[in-house]
Amino acid sequence: MSAIAHPHDHSHGEAHEHHGPPRGITRWLYTTNHKDIGTMYLVFSCIMFFAGGSMAMMIRAELFEPGLQLFNPQFFNSLTTIHGLVMIFGAIMPAFVGLANWLIPMQIGAADMAFPRLNNWSFWLLVPASVLLISGFFVPGGAIASGWTLYPPLSIQQGISMDMSILAIHMMGASSIMGSINIITTILNMRAPGMTLMKMPMFVWAWLITAYLLIAVMPVLAGAITMLLFDRHFGTSFFNAAGGGDPTMFLHIFWFFGHPEVYIMILPAFGIVSQIIPAFARKPLFGYASMVYATASIAILSFIVWGHHMFTVGMPAAGNLFFMYATILIAVPTGVKVFNWISTMWRGSMTFETPMLFAIGFIFLFTIGGFSGLVLALAPVDITLHNTYYVVAHFHYVLVSGALFAIIGAVYFWLPKWTGNMYNETLGKWHFWLSMIGFNVLFFPQHFLGLAGMPRRIPDYALQFAEWNMISSIGAFIFGFTQLIFLYNVITTIRSGKPAEQKPWEGADSLEWTHLPTPAPYHTFEVQPVIK
Amino acid sequence: MKLARAFKAVFWSFLGVRKRANYESDSQALKPQHVIAAGLVSAVVFVLVLFAVVKLVTR
Repeated sequence: MSAIAHPHDHSHGEAHEHHGPPRGITRWLYTTNHKDIGTMYLVFSCIMFFAGGSMAMMIRAELFEPGLQLFNPQFFNSLTTIHGLVMIFGAIMPAFVGLANWLIPMQIGAADMAFPRLNNWSFWLLVPASVLLISGFFVPGGAIASGWTLYPPLSIQQGISMDMSILAIHMMGASSIMGSINIITTILNMRAPGMTLMKMPMFVWAWLITAYLLIAVMPVLAGAITMLLFDRHFGTSFFNAAGGGDPTMFLHIFWFFGHPEVYIMILPAFGIVSQIIPAFARKPLFGYASMVYATASIAILSFIVWGHHMFTVGMPAAGNLFFMYATILIAVPTGVKVFNWISTMWRGSMTFETPMLFAIGFIFLFTIGGFSGLVLALAPVDITLHNTYYVVAHFHYVLVSGALFAIIGAVYFWLPKWTGNMYNETLGKWHFWLSMIGFNVLFFPQHFLGLAGMPRRIPDYALQFAEWNMISSIGAFIFGFTQLIFLYNVITTIRSGKPAEQKPWEGADSLEWTHLPTPAPYHTFEVQPVIK
Repeated sequence: MKLARAFKAVFWSFLGVRKRANYESDSQALKPQHVIAAGLVSAVVFVLVLFAVVKLVTR
């Protein structure tokens, strides 16, 4: 891009392509470049993933055999709580936002995000928030131990770490809302000429819908935790029965946020898988329009099913039935998506590189998680399974082999575009197969434990649960240490690795592959492409 | 008439399936505002239908 064609670019000085990014720490502190911010989000989420993962290893080490071995029960409960919050708000959500930052502008032919400074701020808010959340371990009373759902009265009774966590969740929520505003504005206003809504890649569609969900529910969570804060310090009794309040109200408000939150963590994963599968099946996505429609339907339905998280709190039978029917009906659009992915692969010229393996692993295991969700959706069944390991198994099948597998697949898929280098395919395959084995050994037995009645969030358990817990813990250690292969593979790809072609995946057809060199330059689409 | 088309499109979207020919004529004829409005109204109708079913079985 010559300076003569864009004389105004002189005023941008060092940000110009000729000069590249500024050097040193200021590049990252002050950056407004969507790729830099995307990278920071991904690095941050990787650090949080290993932090939350270490807590998971500690949890499984304690549960390796019955009795209290390593930790006291209070600390164990802090581990389960912070593990959940760190993985949800620190690992999965920022990873999706990082992918959105990297990919959405490139996929719609825009030069950057709509609000670059807001983008910088929404990332940097996350860092102090995560420090606040995790440093709870080092204050009097220890980290919060109420479970990630922060149910009162436990959350009202806890020490100062609860206030720190409330502030941290507020900041993370603000960051998510700003990120969503940015993503919606970028997608609606900055598409290249000819890039109509129904030509957008599925990842962009999924994020557009997810961003609306985030804007709708993050303020609800903010309201719930603000009420908690008021109950704790300012003499209100929103959730205190002694003062005329009701702890059940917290559950309603929390899960009105919490259920759409589940979809916030899975819809972008649907988008990723909808891009990886066609690329390696070398066929266009089957039923693109129905995929868009199904994603929108799932988003709408996600607002009317929150009660299935609280079948046991004593809602009237009519309430339980309503939430049961609504929840079961979500299986319809979700099933449509699974069938569409399978139809995309049907008679395709498939190859099984690492991203494809993770995408297929996603379909297989996410479907298992979906089915155990249907089991839990049945109110009478849920009453016996509520708060057991069956629930733990279910949501890890959805969030680990669902959201996390999709994120890992996305990293392998787009790493060549980001770094200009190919990752090591052999190591990638080892990573996939060990993850697949470790994951199932870790979580499948938890279905049996739950069906047998083992409650969640306990550091000790009765003897009859010993064998499956030991097997589950062995799976956990395999799964956990396997992720170091991923870390090693990604770092060596960034530092060395053989150069990647512009389009290493034959069937990939979105703009970042067809219109941009590899690695993607610091500034892309300064002149918007025209899409036919 | 356009409104009826928007509702029809939304109905199929709740099921998650749409014939290609119908989808293509939809995307020519329908405005996003109509689809969003029809979607929100349909969501309310969906809730009311579920509620009616619940009332029926708990009678």
